[in-house]
Amino acid sequence: MQIYLPIAELSVNLFFLVGIGGAVGFLSGLFGVGGGFLLTPLLIFSGVPTAVAVASVTGQVVAASTSGALSHYRRGGVDLHLAMYLVLSGVLGAFGGVAAFDLLRDVGQLDLVISLGFLVLLGSVGILMLQESVRALLKRRQGIVVRERLPNQHSWIHGLPLRVRFKKSRLYISVLPVLIIGLFIGFVGSLLGIGGGFIMVPALVYLLRVPGSVVIGTSLAQVVAMMAATTVLHAVQSQSVDILLAFCLMVGGVAGAQFGAAAGKHLRGEQLRGLLALLVLAVAIRFGLSLVLTPNDVFSMAVSG
Amino acid sequence: MNRIVVAFVILLFSLIPAAAERLISGISTDTVQITSSFDGERMTFYGTIAPDAGAEQRYVEGPYHAVIVVMGPTQDRVARKKTRNFGIWLNTEQVEFQGFPSYFHVLSSARLDDITDVNTLTTNFILPESHAISPNPAGWWQTLTFGRELIRLMSQEGLFGVQETGVNFHSDTFYSAQLILPSNAPPGPYIAQTYLFRDGEIIARKSDGFAVRKIGFERFLALASTQSPLLYGLACVVLALFTGWLGGVMFRR
Repeated sequence: MQIYLPIAELSVNLFFLVGIGGAVGFLSGLFGVGGGFLLTPLLIFSGVPTAVAVASVTGQVVAASTSGALSHYRRGGVDLHLAMYLVLSGVLGAFGGVAAFDLLRDVGQLDLVISLGFLVLLGSVGILMLQESVRALLKRRQGIVVRERLPNQHSWIHGLPLRVRFKKSRLYISVLPVLIIGLFIGFVGSLLGIGGGFIMVPALVYLLRVPGSVVIGTSLAQVVAMMAATTVLHAVQSQSVDILLAFCLMVGGVAGAQFGAAAGKHLRGEQLRGLLALLVLAVAIRFGLSLVLTPNDVFSMAVSG
Repeated sequence: MNRIVVAFVILLFSLIPAAAERLISGISTDTVQITSSFDGERMTFYGTIAPDAGAEQRYVEGPYHAVIVVMGPTQDRVARKKTRNFGIWLNTEQVEFQGFPSYFHVLSSARLDDITDVNTLTTNFILPESHAISPNPAGWWQTLTFGRELIRLMSQEGLFGVQETGVNFHSDTFYSAQLILPSNAPPGPYIAQTYLFRDGEIIARKSDGFAVRKIGFERFLALASTQSPLLYGLACVVLALFTGWLGGVMFRR
């Protein structure tokens, strides 16, 4: 059944849209990430204009993260104070990201920057996660008890000025690294159409030493608020948010995420992280190849102005 | 400049004393409505050739050839070329074509080369290529190369095309042609210009218009996104929050 997307101005199979929404939602529920980093490339590869894909997935990420954020909030797993700082700087970053998005689209380098961005981000995060999970799996096999790093271990980041107390995270740290993380993820997220959960979680854990009990919830709450702001920014600035496209993806995504979360209970943490790392790397390699291999067609076209 | 000359030529043609033939034509629909299930539309163009009102002849004599040029709204388009720099492929060259048709299909009753000469085809903008040779700051060679590639890309999308068997003559004077408007045909005003040829000369021409437009909910959404983008964006967010919340509630056990 074909459905006409009014902003993308083309018709796509409805079941295909709900299907990829569902499949990505399943993976996002399984791994606890937003899934934007899979959905945006999938839409681009299936013919949706890059600008519409990025802007509409932003809306989908809001929906995908809302139910997770709510359930974490009910369990007290959200540090609202910390999230507020992240969101404020994130929205600022999103302004920059959306402006850069528009500029790049006009110059004709949007696809290049998106490919490069995905390659660098996903590549480095994927390698780090893979290393970490393989190490953990090997140690477990050898019977060594993995000792988690203690949250109160300090690094140079904790010596910066402007310290603020975050009660829920049991942290007394400088706001500077918090703001920089928010700014960076806001910029990258709005430019690439991803929530940035897969960067946010490691950043909170390894850089700020936020305790595990509030990491996921805080990251999800931040993604919801920041992506909501980014959706509005995209709608105003580039007018390429396709509400129908976003809605089809949401319906699939929200349903898929529930099954994913249920399936995730049967897998161990390191296994999950290892699988996610492989997935992230596969997407990174796909983008890397598209940059390096001779394209099928060296010519492309776009509507200008 | 070119266009002014062409317009002048057309004016001259129309001042020439009434030709013996008159073209009566029509389209199966004057509005193509884009609804949520829009998946392209089949259109029929038809027409008949009759003696002109003032002419003394009571009948017309062929053989005739008909060429129908269907053109969509114009827009500014760029064609870009990737080259390999430092091992990666990136867009380095581009040529902009202003006022380029977003849709252009030519239907004819025989091979265009057999109907008339290239000069007539070009000056009347019957060939797709004639839209890509207008003066351009990029220089004529770049314009020519990128213009050809742009037409190729548009053809791949189904937006440009030439169907040299597209027009069927059912009798000496009655013809019809079918065209399938693809789902990615851009909304806007379209013009179907019909040229009637005999012995390589244009002896009559007629233009009919039709509109492709979004209706109902599709139209509402498209209008909202451009006219009140802030509200539209907020509505997207509310919809997303609601869907997310509803999903959580429905599946919670």
